[in-house]
Order: sequence, then C-alpha cells, then structure tokens
Amino acid sequence: MKIDVQSLGTFNQLAHEGAEQATRSMAQMTGIDAEVDVTKISLVDRADIGEELGDSEFVGVQFEFEGALSGDTVLVFDRDSTDEIVNALMPGAAEDPSMAQSSVEEIGNIMMSGFIDGWADYLGAGIEHTPPEYIERSGADVLPEAPDTGETDQVFVFRSEIEWLDQSVNFFIYMLPEYEPMTEMMSEHAAAGDDAIPIEKLEAFNRMTRKGTEKAAENVEMMAGIETEAEVSQISFAPIEDVPKQVGNDTYVGTVVEFTGAPSGYLLVLFDETSAINVAEALMPMETDGDGLTDQHKAAIEELGNIMTSGFVDGWANVLQQTVEHTPPRLVHDMGRAIIDPLAAQLGQHQQHAFIIDSKMKTDEVAFESTIHALPNEEELREALDELLVERAEETEADAEQIF
Amino acid sequence: MADVLIADDSEFMRNLLREILEEDHNIVGEVENGVEAVEVFKEEQPDLVMMDIVMPIRDGIEATDEIKNTAPEANVIMCTSVGQEEKMKEAVKAGADGYITKPFQKPSVMEAIQDVVPS
Repeated sequence: MKIDVQSLGTFNQLAHEGAEQATRSMAQMTGIDAEVDVTKISLVDRADIGEELGDSEFVGVQFEFEGALSGDTVLVFDRDSTDEIVNALMPGAAEDPSMAQSSVEEIGNIMMSGFIDGWADYLGAGIEHTPPEYIERSGADVLPEAPDTGETDQVFVFRSEIEWLDQSVNFFIYMLPEYEPMTEMMSEHAAAGDDAIPIEKLEAFNRMTRKGTEKAAENVEMMAGIETEAEVSQISFAPIEDVPKQVGNDTYVGTVVEFTGAPSGYLLVLFDETSAINVAEALMPMETDGDGLTDQHKAAIEELGNIMTSGFVDGWANVLQQTVEHTPPRLVHDMGRAIIDPLAAQLGQHQQHAFIIDSKMKTDEVAFESTIHALPNEEELREALDELLVERAEETEADAEQIF
Repeated sequence: MADVLIADDSEFMRNLLREILEEDHNIVGEVENGVEAVEVFKEEQPDLVMMDIVMPIRDGIEATDEIKNTAPEANVIMCTSVGQEEKMKEAVKAGADGYITKPFQKPSVMEAIQDVVPS
C-alpha cells in the first residue's frame, strides 16, 4: 500500500478544518477566543501515543466512530481550564460536579460532531459516532487504547492543538483511526506515479529513526554518565508554515546542522536551559566560571549536539549504503520557534508540506530532556525511501574494526 | 612518548583529547580545521595526527589525503562522531590508519594509538 504527499496534505487539511469547525462551535457557545495552532499526521509507535501530554490532568470526551472510517477520537481540555469553559457555557455550572460533567459532554459532543462531519463529507459516506463518554485522567491515559495494527507496531494519529488566546492552556483533539481502513483509504487516494511512498517503507524509516534516537541517547549516557532513555520517535507531516509551531515558544539551547546526501535537510538537537546546564556540567571535568549558561557550557553542548547528530543520522546512511554529510554544528540559544523558523523558510522555497522527524529522550536521574527534530527535503526523502530496502532497516551500525 | 597533533573544531573535544593524551604523549599542536592541520603537520612533523572529520574550511578526510600524499609514513587516526560505513571507507582510501568514534573512553583512545604508534 502506498501514500502520496498530496493525499497526506489533503487528510491533514481535513483534520485541520475539522479542528477549526470544532473551535468555532466552542467559541459560539462559550465566547472563548481560540484558534487551531497546529494539526499534524504522525506515524508513531503505539506505545508513544500522547507522550507529549506529560503528567498533566485532563478532562474531556471520547467517541468511537465507524463507517467510511472507524476508530476513536478524543477532545481533551487541560484540567485547570475546565471550570472556566464550563462556567462560560453555563455560569455557576462548575460548582455542581454533575452539571459540570454534563456541560463538558455537551460541548464535546458539538465540537466533535463538527470534526467528524468534515471527514464524512469529504469521503462522501456516512460516519456514525457513539454518544460522548466523559473522561478525566492524567497524561496519555486520557487517550483510548491505540487501535489494533495487525503486524505493525505503528499507527497513524491525527493531532490538533487548539490554543486559547491570551491564556496558557491548550486543548487537544486526537483521532486514532483503525490502521487497516486508514491505510487502505490513504492508498486509494494516492496518485499513481512517482510521488507515492510505500507505507511499509515509511514504517521502516520510523524504526530506523527510533534506533537513531537510541544511539543518540547512548552517546549522551557515555559522554555525560547520565542514564538516558529514548522516549519517543515519530514521523509527522504538516504544512510547512506549521513547522515552527511544533517546537513552541520555550527557550532552548542546542545545535543546528545542515545535512546533505540522501536526503538533505536540517537537524536540531535542543535542550531546555536547565537540561543544557545539567548535561554540560556532567560533561565537564572542571568547575565552570560564572553562573548560568557559560561559554564552557555552550562549548560542551556544541560538541554533544554534534555527536548526537551523528548518532542520529549515521543509521540512515548505513541502511541506505550512502553518506549523509553534515556541517559543523551551529550553537543556538533562542525561542524554539525562532530557531526553527528560518530553517522551515528555507525548505518552504521548494515545498508546501514537510515531514518532521521528532525524537525525545529523557532521564529520571537529573532534570534532563532533549529533543531532536529533523526536517528533510520532502522530495529527497521520498527518493531515499524509494531506495530503502526494508530488509536492511536493521543495519544501522557500521563496524570500524572490520573496515580498518 | 609520541608527538601528537590534535585537529578538531570543537574546543571542548580538543581539551578532552589533550587531557587524555598529555600524560603519555607530547601534544605539539591543536588546530580547528583541515587547512591548519596540514600546515601544522608540515611544520611539526608529528608522529601522529588525531583528526576529526567534520570541520569547517576543509574536512578531515581531505586533510588526511593531503598529509598522506606528502608524507606516506605519517600516522593519522580519525577521531570523529561520524559512524557511517561509507565514510569509514573514504577514510581508508585517504590513508587513515585508525578510526575512533566519539564518544570514546580513554582506554579505546590509548588502544587505537598503541595499534598505530607502538611504544
């Protein structure tokens, strides 16, 4: 089965418009001014779905849907914002738990009907959904169990993030379609020709990315002595203008490299400031001069970013039996969006959508978290996937001793 | 005790290598790109060059190629974060005598040096 970039773009647009419809419904009912920040389609390991929700408490509604498309969809609000939404819907309702729950169910029902209707209209077929089921859980537990995927361990997830303007709370819509019907539908909509990517190759590439993340985590552990685990790795697809929004407005320290080969693109290794200081101190045998993030910390981060980058992309090169060259790392220290914006703009000269490869690693030992984001040239990634031999996908490591 | 030239664009990595090596070897120079590596090699004629691959201006494979062309007896160990098979083959072709991938521990560095420049 194959998917093509154009139909991925269409599906992404459908999910985005559905989320916009849901947001308009909410604004009409509550007067809350919100907008859809970003919508993306991700191919992700079942176990990693919703990892980005962290440990926060959420309240929301869940539906099962079936028909032209089947699966589960969920709308969740940050727990702290629920009272405000409920009271906006019906003043004082938040004081009465039963009324609050009913209000959430109703607003969820209306919002999500709008979300699902757009899919049904596009597909020209009905999609039925169950009554809303109220949910109140923390982190990824708020999401339904990932659909059965048969032989693969990866699923497609549609995720929209809705930003409540002037507030620090967000809402999320997740759609988890059943794997087989979804891939069949993608395949049916794929244009015949060179643009189409076999889904199994995209999955194999995702597995290579997971191994690359594990290698980068191993490198951190070896250099800094901080036990580090690869947490998430996924490949997402979004309009190029939405790419900077994926990283957010928090301040990061890290490295950017441009890589060339199969494919070319950009790779960022980012640390929040606390993580950057913690990992840099663990790398350095001596005390640093001064407080906060010093030049010595930055030099250490620059080299760590370089080594993590290689750990990440070497696997692609070895599997594809080609080289992926990269520039020396450029140190960055800025808001996430400001770091990624010029890179997306560069890619945007040649493409309207982007594949974004995201990985995350963390440790419980100290406050440490790092993310890796790769932005490959879309056409070259397609060509690289075309060349990819799925049976070589495990051959990510090279043995220097054998060669020398 | 061998005379060693360190070529790496990362100050952090040059410091780390110096700390590992200076107890047993004589560091004759530290440079941060391939052009400087070739120049200092010609001036100092060290027993060994610890050569990074990804460096600005001129990369370590090109620099190794030139060093080996002018002094075939020179010893060069690639000391790099790049773990790509094709790159390792390029390094062999350029004449590199050893290959260490970062991150490394002191014993693996010392072992690689011992293989190339026996004491």
